[in-house]
Amino acid sequence: MNILQKNIKSVKDVLTSQDILVFEFDSLNGKRFAAIYADGIADKQLLGELVVKPLRSAAQDIKLDAVKRLLASPEVKDGKEISDAIKEVSDGNAVLFVDGEKDFIIIGLKNPPGRTVAEPPTQIAVKGPREGFTEDIKTNLGLVRKRLKSDKLKIKMLKTGKKSETAVAMIYIDGVCADGLPERIEKQIASNEIDIVPDSSYVAKFISKKPRSLFKRNGTAEKPDIFCAKVCEGRVGLIVDGSPIALTVPYMVTEDLQSSEDYYALTYRSTIVRILRVLSLLVGILLPALYVSAQLFKIQLIPFQLLLKISSSVSGLPLSPSIEMFLTLFILEVLIEASIRMPNYVVLAMSVVGALVLGDTAVKAGIISTPAIIIIAFSAICLYTTPDLVETTTTLRWIFLILAGSIGPFAVVAFSAFILCYLVTEQSYGVPLMAPFAPLIKNDLYDSMVKANLYKLKNRPQAFKAKDRVRLKTGVNNGK
Amino acid sequence: MENKISVRQICFIMLMYTAVSKLILYPTVLSYESGRDLLFSALLDFAVQGVIIWAVSFLCSRTDKTFFGLIESTFGNIFARVIYGLFALFFIICAVIPFMEQKLYVHSIFYDTLPSLPLFLSVMFFTVYAACKGFRNIGRCADICLPIFAISIIFIFSMSVGEADWSNFLPVMKTPPAKVFSASLATVFRFFEPCWLLMFMGHFKYGKGDAAKITLSYVVGALIVMLFLALFYGVYGDIACSRQFAIAKISLFFPAIDLVGRIDLIALYALEIVMLFAMVINVQMCVHCFVKCTGYENRAVWSVAVNGVLVILLLTLNTKFNAVYNVWAKWMWIVFIIFANIIPLLAWALKKGGRKEEAK
Repeated sequence: MNILQKNIKSVKDVLTSQDILVFEFDSLNGKRFAAIYADGIADKQLLGELVVKPLRSAAQDIKLDAVKRLLASPEVKDGKEISDAIKEVSDGNAVLFVDGEKDFIIIGLKNPPGRTVAEPPTQIAVKGPREGFTEDIKTNLGLVRKRLKSDKLKIKMLKTGKKSETAVAMIYIDGVCADGLPERIEKQIASNEIDIVPDSSYVAKFISKKPRSLFKRNGTAEKPDIFCAKVCEGRVGLIVDGSPIALTVPYMVTEDLQSSEDYYALTYRSTIVRILRVLSLLVGILLPALYVSAQLFKIQLIPFQLLLKISSSVSGLPLSPSIEMFLTLFILEVLIEASIRMPNYVVLAMSVVGALVLGDTAVKAGIISTPAIIIIAFSAICLYTTPDLVETTTTLRWIFLILAGSIGPFAVVAFSAFILCYLVTEQSYGVPLMAPFAPLIKNDLYDSMVKANLYKLKNRPQAFKAKDRVRLKTGVNNGK
Repeated sequence: MENKISVRQICFIMLMYTAVSKLILYPTVLSYESGRDLLFSALLDFAVQGVIIWAVSFLCSRTDKTFFGLIESTFGNIFARVIYGLFALFFIICAVIPFMEQKLYVHSIFYDTLPSLPLFLSVMFFTVYAACKGFRNIGRCADICLPIFAISIIFIFSMSVGEADWSNFLPVMKTPPAKVFSASLATVFRFFEPCWLLMFMGHFKYGKGDAAKITLSYVVGALIVMLFLALFYGVYGDIACSRQFAIAKISLFFPAIDLVGRIDLIALYALEIVMLFAMVINVQMCVHCFVKCTGYENRAVWSVAVNGVLVILLLTLNTKFNAVYNVWAKWMWIVFIIFANIIPLLAWALKKGGRKEEAK
């Protein structure tokens, strides 16, 4: 058995699957080559064009170095160990063995199936860029590179997952990002060993110091413009292969109250919208709880005329206010869960069943009152004004509802105080979650609940301890 | 790091917590004692405390040491521990009336029917958690509470200001000075702010003019209380002494209430969050003192212990608020004057040891 066959056998002994293909071919002078690649994730067309075609036409006897020069592929590197060859083939690249040579050539032909760049369904913008991240890390890195051309942009490739060996790109801007932050994140990711990392949410848990907390410790971005803006503020970005959701750390709660459009729209409008989001968030979480506690413990909370309406609609109901609200919220959660999971062609039918059969009929049958349905529906709408916080806020709504139904409005207030006390203590990589409100950072208030004019945002957020603080230098008359 | 606080946060504490801790029964008691001249009694109290606040904050400009460090450098470690032990007990005494008052207030504004004590005791989950935290948490809570306080207090004040009849204060100075003075003395147990400042000493970086900032914040807090007292007596006049939990009722005469319901309750509920933080600060100070006194740094254990003592006290004295209040008003003022007034002033006599250059 010659060296070429030995090499092929070494790879095939480990990668025994049938989708690992070996393509053997000869050059004009009879030199034999073998390209090994994984079917489906390597680009066969490129293999033919960039590798097989130039080598087949080679007339003289060539060594490995000369082979490399003949290849038309821009992504070529040497390999020595068979284990490297196995890794690269599994990753989607092709490995080229040359007869008589122990070493081999790795050719970057990775092209896994994936969708094209499109607007993300959860971060739709009326104004501003519409590109969204995809599941392919290379595409995502390209989208970032397209926006950040600075030589200070650093991209460090990491691997996580024992079996999946998922690629994670750690992105930051040198000189802007706080000292030691990328190293801390890298260490945190490396300290976790898991079989497979199918999504960035796994990495989010790895980098969180308190993964069991109800409140997240990292920001997310589905659009490259948001991601790049966050990186430019001094955060570290993480793009995980196979996930369209990129992560950013450190994190502040206020960033989830903002949207990319705030920066493209009129500042006054952006401020109003941000205040609306905060109010919606409070209403969404607290309204069902306050309604229940008002009915059970403090009827004065409800205006008299409204009280008359409510009393007429709740009279004769077999359920107590807290059970009624609990049941309505349960139905809503089930409907949301089902509408996400079910096939599209059933959604319309299910909407009719949910809205008419469950809603209207339940009211007519005297099981649930109209105000309960209105309150729960409004609460649900309110919470979706801050979609990134929905997991937390919907959980909090349940907790508040249970407390309100059992202890009353005082429990709602006391638990609010508890949450505030908890949030002001917590940090994400040294940055307080409630910054810039607690601790109060005057400079950062310009882009918090208020969205100040662009010329007011001269400095990067102080909370991130960026080395280079200045992000905007104005011209002669700019900003006046 | 855990125990660092900023001057700004101390200012917020002095401003807010001073005000909210005196809005529940303080106006009622003061109007009972000194009638329409309640403002003079309050002024007397605030003036004395203001001077002590200034003295303590000015002392911070002379030394980097904590109060514990000052005592330790003068009298030794054991004595410092004993003093802190006494302060820990003092802070428990400080916490009793605010807790009992809160219980009554909560029952009044949160419930139509009289609820049982355990409903109020649910707040202990919050107090136990909060008391585990150090000064950094206290400071940040103050940061987050300030906008809540500002919005809710402006809301309540603006709803009640139109109903005040300022002629209720006439004629001025009708109450005998002795009665005005005794009213001040009877409410002196509500003034423990200098002790907070004493505990914060050495835990913040003093800058030029910080003593003035802290004192000014206290003055602003005092002015808010005085304004509320004025509104309170202006609205209720001679029946003010029978109006308990006035802050919850003073906006009731606002015309819009008839149309839109008790919207003032939203502001009151928001203000209650600030009140809870103000209520728990004495427990937090108590835990701090126990940690320093014993050297056992597990704050959670101390927090559970101190809150446990408070729960036992609340359960035991549940129906005896008036009796407890009378004891505090008639007998405990001497304790409060010693701990909150005399000891902070005596701190000036301790070995200060100068300030580090970088702190200037």
